[in-house]
Amino acid sequence: MKVLKLFLIANIITCVCALVGFIYGIVKFFKPKKAVYAQMITLSVGCMAFGRLYQVVRLLTEGDITDSFQLGILGVIGSLLFLFSANFGAMDSLADDGSKKFIKYRIIPFAAPAVLAAVYLIFAFLLIIKGGAFIIGAVITLFAAQASYFNLKHLIFPDVDYGVIKCLKPYNLIALIYSLTCVLEIVFINSENGIAVLIIGLIMSGLLIAIVPSVERGMKKWTI
Amino acid sequence: MDNLVYILFICLVAPMLLMVMLLRKRSRALVGYMIIGVVASLFVSEVNAILLNLFDRNEAYVTTVITPLSEEIVKAIPVLVYALLASDHRDRVMPIAFALGVGFGMFENMVILTANVGNVTIGWAIARGFSTALMHAVCTVAVGFGICFIKKKKKLFYCGTFALLTMASIYHGIFNMLVQSDYKFLGFVLPALTYVPILIQQYFYYKRKNEN
Repeated sequence: MKVLKLFLIANIITCVCALVGFIYGIVKFFKPKKAVYAQMITLSVGCMAFGRLYQVVRLLTEGDITDSFQLGILGVIGSLLFLFSANFGAMDSLADDGSKKFIKYRIIPFAAPAVLAAVYLIFAFLLIIKGGAFIIGAVITLFAAQASYFNLKHLIFPDVDYGVIKCLKPYNLIALIYSLTCVLEIVFINSENGIAVLIIGLIMSGLLIAIVPSVERGMKKWTI
Repeated sequence: MDNLVYILFICLVAPMLLMVMLLRKRSRALVGYMIIGVVASLFVSEVNAILLNLFDRNEAYVTTVITPLSEEIVKAIPVLVYALLASDHRDRVMPIAFALGVGFGMFENMVILTANVGNVTIGWAIARGFSTALMHAVCTVAVGFGICFIKKKKKLFYCGTFALLTMASIYHGIFNMLVQSDYKFLGFVLPALTYVPILIQQYFYYKRKNEN
């Protein structure tokens, strides 16, 4: 019972922070129409907010989110998918022209997905997560891994014209840690470790609040 | 009485089909999409019965996790097709999305009525009419609104479609959870709470459009 209360508190905090971040992004990037990149990141935070809202209602009405697949997980997947799409679809082609001189910047970022996969497998082994819960965690790790690859790539990539990549490094760092928290959270939810979920939830909330303003600050420097 | 759902389906769709042949352009699309909503609802009711058996008849789990997904996907496909093939203009997509949602909700209420024919009251009808049917309409309108936006931005299309379905499913799931819980009242109020902002937004949208 205590574990579920901690889950609930963590989810409420994350939901509120994500909603604040989402509304801030809507005001900043949708009202005056800004780059699709920023809009995608706002929608990523929005997906998380909706997913958390579902989990809050589920915890309040049915009292559990650990039994098996539930719709809140789609919020996490949607969020990570948008982060991946923003960098892969809207930003990467601006930085990486595909030439051989950047090859090491394409190989080194594989470290991020490798670390996420290792973290997931080690924790899943230690906390004895198996069956459906293992598969759900693996799917989230897969989406987190692909997003983290581009976050790390853009974090280490040498700057291109107009400082487009350099200005967004703080954002990419935040997004990279966010991907890690998504993986850790699902591991601790499945192992029903309430304290760990609460701590991860607090870190994630801070990141969700910071993501959109970090993009805004980065984009402001584009025009300088 | 096994075929009661199909009897109701024929009684509802047959006159609408006859009417749609007399209509032209937008009116035809509107009534046509209402019929599609009814057909989608019939299709989903059969799919849901299969899903319920697949999940060991765990009704609470299926109605709060699985059916919101299946229903929102089935409802979104015709709207997506309309946006891709006919028009992605908001003025045209929103009404057909609403018509589809209303058609779907209307027939879903009939399916539930046939299963609980001895227990239903006028209060039940009012609650279902103003909540479930409206909830389906609001979800489909939200998807339609989103599709109009993402269709114009190719980079957003795939993720955007996924996000729209996720958001609609989550909203639907929250509604289903609330109406089955002790917070029933909140569940019945939720669609109205989301319908009113849409109504106000549409009002100002058309007002601005007329002024220009």
